[in-house]
Amino acid sequence: MASERPLLAVERLTKRYANVVALDDVTFAIHDGITGILGENGAGKSTTIRIVLGLTRPTSGTATVLGRNAFEDIEVRQRIGYMPEHDCLPSHVSAAEFLTHMAETSGIPPAAARTRAADTLRHVGLFEERYRAIGGYSTGMKQRVKLAQALVHDPAFVFLDEPTAGLDPAGREEMLALIRKTHREFGISVLFSSHLMGDVERTCDRIIVLQGGRLVRSGEVEQFTQETETVFIEVDENREALVEALERRGVRVASERSGLTIEGPDESVYDLVRDALVEAKAPLRRMAPRKHALTEIFERTGEHAKPAEVA
Amino acid sequence: MNTSGTVFDIGYQRYDGEREGRSRSRKAIFKDGVRTALGFGRGGKAKVLPWFFIGVLTMIGLVMAIIAGAANMMGGPGAADRNNIPSHGDYYGIVSIIVFVFAAVVGPELLCPDRRNGTINLYLVRPLLGSDYVAARWAAFLTVMLGTLWLPQLVLFLGRAGGDVSPGVYVQKHWLDIPRFLLAGAAMAAYATSLSLLIASFTKRRAYASVFMVGLFVITTPFTVGLAGEMKGALGQWLSMFTLSSIPLHVSDIIFGKPSELTDRAPAKALGSTVLVGWFLLWTFGAAALLWRRYRRLTP
Repeated sequence: MASERPLLAVERLTKRYANVVALDDVTFAIHDGITGILGENGAGKSTTIRIVLGLTRPTSGTATVLGRNAFEDIEVRQRIGYMPEHDCLPSHVSAAEFLTHMAETSGIPPAAARTRAADTLRHVGLFEERYRAIGGYSTGMKQRVKLAQALVHDPAFVFLDEPTAGLDPAGREEMLALIRKTHREFGISVLFSSHLMGDVERTCDRIIVLQGGRLVRSGEVEQFTQETETVFIEVDENREALVEALERRGVRVASERSGLTIEGPDESVYDLVRDALVEAKAPLRRMAPRKHALTEIFERTGEHAKPAEVA
Repeated sequence: MNTSGTVFDIGYQRYDGEREGRSRSRKAIFKDGVRTALGFGRGGKAKVLPWFFIGVLTMIGLVMAIIAGAANMMGGPGAADRNNIPSHGDYYGIVSIIVFVFAAVVGPELLCPDRRNGTINLYLVRPLLGSDYVAARWAAFLTVMLGTLWLPQLVLFLGRAGGDVSPGVYVQKHWLDIPRFLLAGAAMAAYATSLSLLIASFTKRRAYASVFMVGLFVITTPFTVGLAGEMKGALGQWLSMFTLSSIPLHVSDIIFGKPSELTDRAPAKALGSTVLVGWFLLWTFGAAALLWRRYRRLTP
């Protein structure tokens, strides 16, 4: 259930770099749960995260996390975790040593930091390897260390920037499972940036879609896919005649390689399909409701993909 | 006896203990800086260089104590002093090049790898500013430098006292050398720390920073000494001021009240104590301020 005060609130956020608008009047709020921030490279995901973390000042607008502005009040960062996309790990120290140090830099006293490091490494499945130098770890293990350092100080909110980048399919599944576990079992809210819609769809409760620095859509993942329900039809023959019959009845139909899709969810469409099938003498093989994948939603808004230029 | 039991994987636990914020964060960066400089928590290779230099510097102090002891044994009580056997006032001059090479090799280790590995990105999203980070690193390397410079002087003092016919009389007569070598060592440590870290702040590669600093000290010294010797008057004196390895040694001479072998004939001495101290402060705190400024607005 969403708490009253949002964990993260972004209001009319704009960020301009020279002649490029990285963020353009973006407003959203995030409550408890796993939220995906989705967008192509240059969409404004990282800029949003940097502003929220207090690393960059916005040109205009406000961003607060846990009710505080991280740029003005850096103590709030004690309760925030961040896993960057790029390399950030020292190679010559062990994971145990590194995590203890990172817990301390987040404000945890030394004795508690050592315990937290061990607990967190157990959580990410690296307890047995904790005394090995990080430089000898595989890519998947390094990603887990990156996740562990974001969690070691027990944040209330954690930002994960492309956490599955560079992982093979098995490693990706494990990382997504860890992210789900982090929220569902330990109650840590997650903002998860990705350009991989499948990852977001499987992991997140809510999504925010950014394109060209603008907020395109935001809401529950479930709501996204329900809203865009379609009917899928597959016929053995006379497919073109069926398309014509449907269009004469005012039905919007899209042709795919394996069949036809019709926009729903109005139930009257089924009557129109029945009549069109009879008219076109098209033997029906399969007719079923189908939800759009997030990929399709994203493709529809592709016209905003380029960063907005300032005149 | 029941030998069966249950093993519980308690795994990740929520933390509701104390959070010490920015002050703990700065202490952690300081502690990590000292450990990094000395190679603690790292493999054996990381310990070789710092401990080699610390060993050499301490050994020089020990050898100086042995020579003074031998002089006293052969020439009688006070022979080491009468024969001007090198002592505390000369030590920093004797080891200055080794100290600057140590600073050049070890100092960049505190800054360059964090930027090269991207670990700085993790620090800057914690309750810590870029200026906190660099101040903690500066303090950490200063601490290591102080230990490195004071330890041999302490060995020398104890060695000379122990090697004297009456150690009590020696301590009574020379106790003022202790605050002098502490102060002169602090001046040299602060100077070497600031320059080493400032140079390191310009590159992500430790080796480049080390080579540049060694080059700056080793190559410029004969250059400026030679040119200053050729020029007469104020120009020669000011050229002599640019012998970077001598800047903290002039301060050491002022503290000990007598010139060392290296600085005795430097034309810069004619400019007077105020100018020499001011020049030292300008380089030390100017470099530190520039370093602080470079990191103040650093963002990942």
